[in-house]
Order: sequence, then structure tokens, then C-alpha cells
Amino acid sequence: MGFILDGLDTETYDREYGDRELLARILSYFRPFGKQVLFVAVALTINSIAGSGAPIAIARAIDVVGKNPSLTSIALSCSLVLLMGGLAWVSNFVRQWLSARVIGDVVLKLREDVFDATVRHDMSFYDEHPSGKIVSRVTSDTQDFSEVVSLVVNLLSQFVQIGILTIWLMSINSGLSLILYAMAPLAVVIALSFRRVARRVTQNARRVTAKINAQIQESISGIFVAKSFRKERAIYDTFERNNRQGYQVGIRRGLTLNSIFPVMGLSSGLGVALLVYSGGIQVEAGNLSPGDWYLFMQAVGFFWFPMMSIASFWSQFQDGLSAAERVFALIDAEPMVVQEAHENVERMQGRIEFKNVCFRYTEKEIVLPEFSLTVKPGETLALVGHTGAGKSSIANLIARFYEFQEGELLVDGRDVRRLDLDDYRRHIGLVPQDPFLFSTSVGDNIRYARPGASNDEVLQAAMHISAGAWLEDLPKGLETYVGERGANLSMGQRQLVALARVLLKDPAILILDEATASVDPFTETQIQEGLQSVMRDRTSVIIAHRLWTVQNADRIIVMDHGRILSQGTHASLMAQGGHYADLYNTYFRHQSLEYIESMAR
Amino acid sequence: MTEMTIEKREFSLESEYTFNRSGPVRWILSHSLRYPIFPLGMILAAIGNNMAYSNIQLFIGRAFDVITSTGFQPEDLIAIALIVMVAAMSQGLTGLMRNYSAEFLAQRVERDARHELYVSLLGKSQTFHGRQRIGDIMARATNDVRTLNLMFSPGVMLITDSVMNTIVPMVMIAVIRTELLLVPSIFLLLLILSLLDYNRRLNPVSTAMRDQFGTMNAGLAEAIAGIEVVKSTVQERFEWDKFTHDARRYRDLFVQQGEIQARYWPMLIFSLSWAFGLFHALFVWQAGRISLGEAISFVGLMGALRFPTFISLFSFNLVQLGIASAERILMLINTETELDENVGGITTPMCGEVVFENVSFSYDDQVVLRDIDFKAEAGKTIAIVGETGSGKTTLTRLINRIYDVDEGCVKIDGIDVRDWSMESLRSQISTIEQEIFLFSNTIAENIAFGCDSPSRESIEKAAREAQAADFIQSFHDGYETETGERGVMLSGGQRQRIAIARAFLTDPRILILDDSTSAIDSATEDQIQRAMRQISRERTTFLITHRLSQIRWADRILVLRRGRLVDQGTHEELMDRSADYRRIFSRVESGNGGEKPSAIPMHDGDD
Repeated sequence: MGFILDGLDTETYDREYGDRELLARILSYFRPFGKQVLFVAVALTINSIAGSGAPIAIARAIDVVGKNPSLTSIALSCSLVLLMGGLAWVSNFVRQWLSARVIGDVVLKLREDVFDATVRHDMSFYDEHPSGKIVSRVTSDTQDFSEVVSLVVNLLSQFVQIGILTIWLMSINSGLSLILYAMAPLAVVIALSFRRVARRVTQNARRVTAKINAQIQESISGIFVAKSFRKERAIYDTFERNNRQGYQVGIRRGLTLNSIFPVMGLSSGLGVALLVYSGGIQVEAGNLSPGDWYLFMQAVGFFWFPMMSIASFWSQFQDGLSAAERVFALIDAEPMVVQEAHENVERMQGRIEFKNVCFRYTEKEIVLPEFSLTVKPGETLALVGHTGAGKSSIANLIARFYEFQEGELLVDGRDVRRLDLDDYRRHIGLVPQDPFLFSTSVGDNIRYARPGASNDEVLQAAMHISAGAWLEDLPKGLETYVGERGANLSMGQRQLVALARVLLKDPAILILDEATASVDPFTETQIQEGLQSVMRDRTSVIIAHRLWTVQNADRIIVMDHGRILSQGTHASLMAQGGHYADLYNTYFRHQSLEYIESMAR
Repeated sequence: MTEMTIEKREFSLESEYTFNRSGPVRWILSHSLRYPIFPLGMILAAIGNNMAYSNIQLFIGRAFDVITSTGFQPEDLIAIALIVMVAAMSQGLTGLMRNYSAEFLAQRVERDARHELYVSLLGKSQTFHGRQRIGDIMARATNDVRTLNLMFSPGVMLITDSVMNTIVPMVMIAVIRTELLLVPSIFLLLLILSLLDYNRRLNPVSTAMRDQFGTMNAGLAEAIAGIEVVKSTVQERFEWDKFTHDARRYRDLFVQQGEIQARYWPMLIFSLSWAFGLFHALFVWQAGRISLGEAISFVGLMGALRFPTFISLFSFNLVQLGIASAERILMLINTETELDENVGGITTPMCGEVVFENVSFSYDDQVVLRDIDFKAEAGKTIAIVGETGSGKTTLTRLINRIYDVDEGCVKIDGIDVRDWSMESLRSQISTIEQEIFLFSNTIAENIAFGCDSPSRESIEKAAREAQAADFIQSFHDGYETETGERGVMLSGGQRQRIAIARAFLTDPRILILDDSTSAIDSATEDQIQRAMRQISRERTTFLITHRLSQIRWADRILVLRRGRLVDQGTHEELMDRSADYRRIFSRVESGNGGEKPSAIPMHDGDD
């Protein structure tokens, strides 16, 4: 129902593309379906003709049989009405069915394009756009767009219908037609002013509803506390107050929205009364046949209700354009990471060299100024420092998730910008701080890194980590379903899966962002054992949060504000004191055996 | 029939309206009959509304007869035009009355249902809340309650109107001439059949479409959330294939739905019936049994049937959805609290000795704990360690009867927990959960939550003992600082210390402390450790922990693995006995690489 109350909840978005540009772009998606669109247009026209033809046919029937009341003329006139009805239905069928196909295909193509563009974007894009918004652009905005297109097609058919009827009526009696048309602006004005009021009360209602829901959510989440301290009454009073208020605004909104149709019905009824009289006078004067008098009466209904939909057309049309714009904006976003060439990467040793690299995420803040560092093949490097020291940036640049602005990053002596990105990334193993798992089995999650791997290979990779002991704690071993985003597994178990994933991929370079979250001591031990197997024989760059890790690193890089303050092994750095000793006291001391033992009573 | 009166509740109101809760339809009826004036008004107004509309058609026909009669008087026409005007006005007014009645009813039912649900939720035990997911409850308190509203306005309103929209014109037609009912009756029959058929064909496709949209959306959300993995493993192509497969399947369903909707037989049946009706009326007119004006009235009255033709499915679906929502809401309201409050049970002050004797417990047909046997002496600290999912939290919940054991028994001071009065049992046991919940309130009020208006000094004393005073005072508003959505965001460690302060105020005999939160930094760690040692002094404390330092100072350690107590004892005993346990500590030692970290400047709490 394309009624005037649609789209009241939508919010306004800033538009950047011009209407013309946007329309041209939208039309380009319809171009491949030119033939079908043409058929839709033809069917739509036939539909409109038949639609306005039915009342005309009835009017004619009245006049014809009035003059010649034979059964044949009655039958003939009624056949015409029947034909119009049948034709209207058939053409409507063709129109709706074909446009569903076209819209379905266009939206599919749009979704393919936007998804393709989305996965190609580098990580800076994902920093700017929250993932929920991206998802809603790919699915919901395209959906909104398709709905608006359907709606536009529907309204178009009503427009044409009104147009045909207008011409017909004008040709019969221009005076009466003017009375009829005088009502049209009235309908639009009534509808538009209703929309304005309706929008306001709707927004009020939405705000209060959100408040009620938030209060329910909070009090039910905290019911444990409320119960143990017997505070139900206070919570109830707040709820009761909100619920009453919700009722008040709800009623206001409901009554407003519910007034529109009766008011419209009332106005159109008054129009009919006016036409009954003025039309009758015309009939008496001989300017109008009784059948046409009747047609005018019918036309009130035909005019009035489409006018109401037209009142809401503009804002709906704008909603559709905004939805399309949001989708196109996603497609058009410029990638930051650009490869200059696509050189193959066969085997890799894993030497990494930063040469005077300058890097910033945004214009304002420089994260790495003139950063230089060489990591030898097979070396285990631990990065330590406070938040914002630039540790993750180093990992992100190696993974080529972001583009650096100045200097050079060489891998095995080759410029990382000249390598084939897919090829290069096959040699990188990444374990993020909160490892992401897909909602399938543990085994499939390990396999994700190498879809072709056999069950045996997956099992072997898993067995390399603490001799597979961790699998025994999973209810079904490798077959265990991990839940949405791995929710069925503990944080520690997710890390074990991520480590196994890297082992299966067998990359030359490992990048690991150690978890800060606490893990039970048994799993922690397994993770450390797993880490040992993973780090063996490959270059490892670890953002370290665990005492064990820094103690076992070949080299520790102490960072602050994008600069290297000092480097060395744990023992040598501790002996130096200074910044590392401070860091140790801040982050690592409580993990030490001394500290633990000092706690024993 | 008498409804279940053995309702156990922890919260109730003095004067509560009782609704019939024996079934969704009865429940909805009893809700709407609470305000009989509105349903009654709605039905009467709908009848009046359709009578007015039908009268307009009737008088258009009459006007036709007037203008086609030879030598008619304009006064006759004015009279008819005035009648049409009055009819139009009463149509508008009754329309408003019908819609307003429905709206008042809908809003009140929504308000009352939400109220009823909320009060019942407050009355449910913690067992219930422990098992219920917040998301499920919220879905019922928001969407389902809203659906109830929509079911009345416009759902029931439209159905009432459709019914009157059929009956009233049919009666009018019968008044003109009974034989004219022939075509409309056949039409009604065909309409019902074709609507049923349409619904039967459309429903599975619409459902499949909704599901497929969900699948597509979920798949996409997952790919975007895991984009780092996708990129680092070079699986963009794989994800693209997966998504486009979903999107293509959705497109197919969309086209299928479009085809079914395009082939909407009821509309064709209406158009054809209209033509046949016209023919029939003219035929009867030609035979001289009615006037031409009456034939025109008849055509106008038949036109009224257009409305139910396209609106009825929509409104029936709204009612169906409403009933389904009512069922879900009722299910929640009618869920019985399983644990008995045992009001006549033991209420003496506790010493705090806790004994588990061969305890087994299953949850949703899965064994969570099996044959647990241990004794915690009063005032001792018991550390519980084990992997996630090994049953640590469940074990502690058997102590304050969040759950009841399936086999064996839990005893406090030698008395089975089921023999204690629930009130007395719970008031002497405090729990500090892993996720600490704070209300959107001031810090002082959050600390004081458990006591009836404690003095300011006692709140501050509790905060000091919980090592929370320093950070609270560092805020601009101190103890009056707002927490939660509108206020400051507190870190996990800070929330934990507020909860500990809360426990200091209530002074329980047994304390359950779930401390699996992340290890922040050494300074915070020091403070939390101090607060915990302080609060656990002289109380029996169950400490679920990942921290080796806490395990180290516990009097006794319980090692859980997949629901079994695989070992228990002091640190020394476990070091002797358990290889797994030894492995943990030897790793911490080996981390030092054999070198003893000497001369570490150990200064406390640099915040």
C-alpha cells in the first residue's frame, strides 16, 4: 500500500551526488534489461487505459441501454466492461511479474557490485565505516531501493490513469471537470499537512518507546542485583511512569494517523454531493448524458486516493535516491592501498626491512615518523610499549592492511608495493588479538586458510599444538560447532584455533597480536606450547602482552610514540633499567613467579 | 475453569487486574473486554460508517432516477444532494469513531500487556532469569507487545470494517431486490476460496524469502566482521561466491513472490463479478423489476466489495501475528518458578561451612557436574580453576540455589541448602559476577544498593576497604558521579571494586567471587588483590579465577575438568600430585629463561 503514511520513520541523509548523476547511474543498471523495461511500460499503459476504461464503459453502458434497452445491447455493453476488467488484470499481471524480474536482477547486480567493492577495500575503510553500517548498506539499502522502484512503477501507473481520465472528462464537460480538479490540490494539501503532523508525533513516539525499551533492558539485565537487594518496587515505579508516558504519546500518534482516511473520505463525500447537484443541473440543461453524470461521480474516488499517494511520492522518491547513493558511495570509495605491480611471490625467507617509513592513519596524527627496523629471517621479535606506541601499526603495514606515506618497506629485499597482493598475503599468517571464527566447525575454521587441505592435514595442524590435548576439551573435537563468531569457545580456545589455522597455512611470516584478556591457566599453557610450534622456523612479529612471550623472544623492541627506544633480550633490557623496566612494572610484573609466590600466605 | 493459583512470585502489586491466561485468544479477549466500550464503539461505528457509505450509493441511484425522469424539479435534486452530504459527514464521523475506538483499544492493550509482562518478570525467581536470554525477553517486551497493538489497530479494525463492508451493502442490495444477491454471493464464495489458495501459495515463499534475507545478512555480517581473516588468508573470492550465491537465491524467491502476487486472482474475480453484476442488474431492469437508478445503486454497492478484496489478507495476517505474539508473551508469563522459596525453612545466622556430597547436575539434558565431593571450612578461601565450560560457575550457583542439585546434596553448616529459607540463605551469601552490573545511577547509590539508606560514612568506608576510594575521588563529582550510559565508563577493574564495596556493606557469610576478568596492569592488579584478600577474610569465599597469584593464596584449590573434580588440595599437594598443575607453574618459571630476574624495582600501585 503506497499510502501517505509510508516513510515517516526515515531519517534524512546528506546527499553528495547530484540528482541527475544519480539517476543516470541508476538507469545504467536498468539498461541491460531494456527490452523487459519496454514491455513493462507497454503493459503499464494498457493497464492504465483498461483501468480508466472500466468506469467509462459502465457510463457508456448506462447511456446506451437507456436509449436502446435490448438484451443484445446490454450484453454488448457489459462485455466491454468485462473486457476492460480482464485486460486490466492481465496487463497488471504482466507488469508486476516482469518488473519483479527486472528489479530482482538489478538488485542482484547491485549487491554483487557492492560486495565486490567492499571486500576489496583495505582496512582503513573498515575503520571509517562501522561494520553494521556496511552490512545495512549492502542488504537493507539495496532492499529499500528495490521497494522504492516498485513503488515508483505503481505510482506511474496511477499517474497515467489519472491523465487518461482527465483528458476524457475534459472532452465531455469542462465545467464539471474544473470542479473535480479543484478538489485535487485540496487532497494534496490535506495529505501533506497530515504528513507533517504525523512525522512529528511519530518521532515523539519513537523516542519514548526507545526510552521504555532501554529501561526494561537495563532493569532486566540487572535483575540479579535488584533481586538480591529487594529493589523491585523502585524499578517498577520507574517502569510504570515510562509506560504511562508511552501510552500518552502512542495515543497521540495513533489518533493522528487514524484521522487521515476518515477526513479524506469525508471530503470526497462532500465532493460527490456537490457533483450530484451541479451534474444534475447540467443533465437537465442537456449538456451531459446521465451516464457521464454517473462517470463524474465515480471519478471522485479515482482522483482522490491517488492524489494522496502522490503527496507522499516526493519524499519516498528521495528516500530511494538516498538509499542508492549510500550504495554507490560504498562502491566508489577510493582504496588507499595501491599495488604498483603484480610480481609473483614464490618462496619467502621472511626478511622484513622498514626504511624510514612514515605512517599516519589520518592526516592529523603521525603514528610512525621515520621508522627503520630490520627483522632477520626466522627471528622472533616482541614489540612492547604503551597503547599508541605504534606496535599494531607495524603489524598492519607488514600485512599491507594500510598504506604508508613515505619511506620503503622491503620483504626479502623486494618493494612490498610491487608484489602481487594475494600472492604476498599467502605468506603471512595473522593471529589477531580476538581471533575471529566463522560459525562452522573447528576443523573448517582451521581449514579456512587453505580450503583445499585434507582432513588429515587439518588434524595434523591441530595436533601440533600442545600435542592435541586441547581437542580433548572440545565436546566433539574438530567437529565441534563454534557458534556465532566462535561464541561457544572460550577466548583461549579461539586462539588455539587461530594458531592451528596459521600452522596449516605454513606462512613465512607470523604476525601475532597477543590477547590481553585473561585465559584460564590450563589453556594458557596450551597456547604457549602452541605458540612455540608456530614460531619455530619463521619470522615472528609479536605484539606482546605476556611475560612468557617477552622472555622467550629473540629480540624485544621497546617502542614509544612510533620510535624505538631500546632493544635487546629481556635480561639485557632489565639490566639496563629505564623505559623497559617501567613497562615491566606496569604490565608484566604481576605475571612473574616472584609476584605469584609473594601472594602465598 | 479455575486458573493456576499456585503461582510463586517474588513481587506483586496490591490491586492487580487479573486476565485470563489459559490461552492466547482468551488472553487477548480478556484484555480487550477490560474496556468493553471500545470494542463495542468500534463495531457500532463500523456499521454506521458502512450504512452511510451505502446510503450515498443508494441516493446516487435515486438522483439518477430523478434526473432521467421527465421534467424533474431542481429542489428534488437539492434534497438528495443534501442527504448525500449528511451521509458523507456521518461517514467521516463514524469513520473517526471507529478508528479512534480501535486505537484506544490497541494502545491500552499494548500498555496493559507490557505492564502485565513486566510485573510478572519482576516476580520471577533468579532461576528463571538465569536461564532466560535477555534478547528473548526484550523481543517479547518490545516487538511482541507492539505486534499486539498492530493486531488491533489496524488489524481487528480492518476485519470489522471488511465484515461490515460486506454485510451492510448485501443487506441494502437485498432491500433493493433479493434476486440481485445472486452475483455478490457467488463472488463472496469465490473470493474466500481464491484468498485461501493465494495465502497457501504465498506463505511458504514469503517465509523462505525472510529466512533467505536473514541468511544473506548473517553471512555478510560474518564476512565483514572477519574481514581481517578474509584478507590475510586471501579468501575474498570465496566470500564473494558465498554471498552472491545467497543473493541469487534471494533474487529467485523475490521473482517467485512477484509472480504469485501478480497473479492475484481475487482482483480478477472482483472485476468479472462487477461486469456480471452489471449485466444481471440491467437484465432485471429490462424485465421491469427495478428502475435504472436502482441498478446503478446496485453497481455502486457492489463496488464496496473492492475493499475487502484487497485488504482482508493483510488484516488477517496482522491478527495471526498478534496471536502468535500473545502466545510468546503468555509463555513467558506462565513459566513457573521452579524453586520453592521454603518460607518456613531455617533462618539462623550462618557460620559458613559448605559441603558438597556426591553432587551431580544436568542442564538441558547435558551433564554439567558429576560426583562433586568436597568440604570448605568456614572462613576459608577456595579457588576453583578449570577451563571455560568445565562447570566452575555452575558449581557456585548450587550453593545459593540459583539451581538445585539433581543428585547428592549441598550443605551449609551441615544443613541441606533446600532446608534453609530462601530469603535467609540468599541474604547471607553474596555473589560478585564476572560481568558486574551497575545501574545508571550515581556511584554512591550503586554501592548502597543493598542496604536501606546506609550512612555516607559507611559507603565511603566500604569504598576504601574495596580499594575503590582513590579512583572514585579522582572523578570530578566523586561519589555523585553518574555511571552507565549517561555517565562515566568504568573499567572492568573499577566495576569489580564497586561490587566488592557493595559486598562490604551487606557483609555476607559466604562470598562467591567470579574473577575471570582480564589482567589489566600490575598496579590495578595489586589493588584488586588487596581488595579481594580484605573481603575474603573471615568469610567462606569461593574464588573462580584465572590468576595464578590468587590460586597461590587460596587455602584450597579445586581443579575442574569437564564437570568432574579431577583434583583438590593445597598448592603444595597439587604440585606434588598433578602433572597438569605442575606444568602451569613450571612454564611461568621456564619463562625466566633460567635467569633469575634480579634487582627489579618493585614499587606498588603507581596510578
